[in-house]
Amino acid sequence: MPSNEVVIRVQNLKKYFPIYKGFLVKKHVADVKAVDDVSFEVKKGETFALVGESGCGKTTTARVMLRLIDPTDGKIEIMGTDISRLSREELLPFRRKMQIVFQNPIGSLNPRMTVGQILTEPMLFHKIVNSKEEANQKAIELLRMVGLKPFHMDRYPHQFSGGQKQRIAIARALSVDPEIIYLDEPTSALDVSVQAQIVNLLLKFQEELGLTYVFISHNLALVRFISHQVAVMYLGKIVEMGDVNEVFDNPVHPYTKALLSASPIPDPAIEKKRKRIILTGNVPSPIARPSGCFFHPRCPFKMPICEKEYPEMKSVSSNHQVACHLVDKREV
Amino acid sequence: MDPILSVRNLSTWFYLEEGVLKAVNDVSFDLSENEVLGIVGETGSGKSITVRSIMRLIHHPGKIVNGQIIYRGRGREEDIVKMDEDELTEIRGKEISMIFQDPLTSLNPLYTIGDQLMETIIQHQHVDRATAWKLAVEMLRKVQIPEPEKRMNSYPFEFSGGMKQRVVIAIALSCNPKILIADEPTTALDVTIQAQVLELMKDLQKELKTGTIFITHDLGVISAMADRVMVMYGGRQMELAPAEDLFHKPMHPYTNMLLKSIPRVDIKQDKLESIPGQPPRMIDVPEVCPFAPRCPRRLDKCTKELPPFAELEPGHFVRCFNPVEVGGDINAK
Repeated sequence: MPSNEVVIRVQNLKKYFPIYKGFLVKKHVADVKAVDDVSFEVKKGETFALVGESGCGKTTTARVMLRLIDPTDGKIEIMGTDISRLSREELLPFRRKMQIVFQNPIGSLNPRMTVGQILTEPMLFHKIVNSKEEANQKAIELLRMVGLKPFHMDRYPHQFSGGQKQRIAIARALSVDPEIIYLDEPTSALDVSVQAQIVNLLLKFQEELGLTYVFISHNLALVRFISHQVAVMYLGKIVEMGDVNEVFDNPVHPYTKALLSASPIPDPAIEKKRKRIILTGNVPSPIARPSGCFFHPRCPFKMPICEKEYPEMKSVSSNHQVACHLVDKREV
Repeated sequence: MDPILSVRNLSTWFYLEEGVLKAVNDVSFDLSENEVLGIVGETGSGKSITVRSIMRLIHHPGKIVNGQIIYRGRGREEDIVKMDEDELTEIRGKEISMIFQDPLTSLNPLYTIGDQLMETIIQHQHVDRATAWKLAVEMLRKVQIPEPEKRMNSYPFEFSGGMKQRVVIAIALSCNPKILIADEPTTALDVTIQAQVLELMKDLQKELKTGTIFITHDLGVISAMADRVMVMYGGRQMELAPAEDLFHKPMHPYTNMLLKSIPRVDIKQDKLESIPGQPPRMIDVPEVCPFAPRCPRRLDKCTKELPPFAELEPGHFVRCFNPVEVGGDINAK
């Protein structure tokens, strides 16, 4: 269950990727603003979801939070410590506390290592075990926890199915007793019937071990099921954020509304009656973002002010914030 | 009226070193004019091989070992399985068209969109370049590509993913085929773009009355598109029913469990039922129910013989010895 203890506090986080032109004299011509002034808090034992379409900055946000890439500006407080400027050595204890499960288990497990090696290496590196035997013991226990068998220790990743590989990736993340696990589309490479197994496994560990999850996905149905809080991103900014049921039942931002209405519902009777908000056009380039609110060229409720000013984040209820000029209009 | 396409006892096997991979086994179904038939199934269930067999796109070591594919679009019954390459060229793209999952790989990066559209039109409608150009522009307009005349000279890389898929749809529909086969056409697209493309496909289907086979693993997408739905598992048909029947009263334990295992965006759910176990290995499978190892309603019989694909209610076919009754408990035997 989520408590009130804040374990992640992200403040005004920015990640710009510079674009250079020229051969001998490189000139800095523009920036890709992948993450632009993003702030949020995650409480202990909670699942915080970052959702949005490809290129919205959700994965970059997570990578910066893990310090896999360095932020351009802003603060990342993990359990009270700002890790945004820490050196490699200083980061080590935080690397142990934060683990990640990637989308594609084929790419994230070393094909030349046995499952036993994959699971024991992190434990030995972070010195949470005293001997190899202890590490093996713990690895076998981990395999059991994720629903695999002790004899799987000597097998190689290619001998497993996609769902089993993802179980191994989860076991590896758990091997160093982390506090926070980043889940980057952990089930999108899996079949539907296997997806539910992995999701239920993740929920079980969250409850038993009090883990905090940062969940990155474009699958809104899965986000609704798995998470407590959700942040919807568009072109590097959070446009709507709050309690997942509150946001999904009463979306305010037109982009959130469009995303929700574009997500198909597995019931033909409902689908037949549904009125879709079909957005026109594509997501604009993050290099040349539109003026004012970035969403205005595609927004069905565009007002003159939207072309001029980027809307501020405002609260619409106790746990629901929106960055949209329509909020002011609603109050009037 | 007779269905435009009848697939009868189709079996497509792959002869591999490890053994025979029975990708499609004894599959039969009909497709009517102006109907959208959805095929759902997981990776390896045989859904793509089924439609590739219809287009005769099966190559060595694969082989259509049994069955008939009767096409009735030209006023007579023709068996696609028996056709030679020349006859197939006449059919492909003109009578039956196909859209693939990834628009990036189905368009040639070296030719303009216009060239690729006109190639199909000239090949099948035997018109000159000027007429083909006009028809091509008309098709691009139909799939709602802005400034179609200008875009004719663009190359695929100049289009976004959603726009590319629109071009692919335009090529597929340019000769007004009687049957359109769409194999996961929106899987590679973002959700708002997927909604655009699905909306376009629905509108065009209504306008052109094309019989459509729509393949996907996404039960949400299928419920938005299909009139009838066929569920495949382990190379076999498990259930075939009108869409609403299939979603509201699934009778096969696999369909029933699958529907309970998917999260929904519109309601808050307390739990997801998961199906234990893994999808089956497909090599040298015995002639029994492929779902039996994962099935909570398994009877002794299920691991000894193959249940028939039987019509349990009008239009509702199920391959199961112990089907779920409507509103019944999945775990009760």
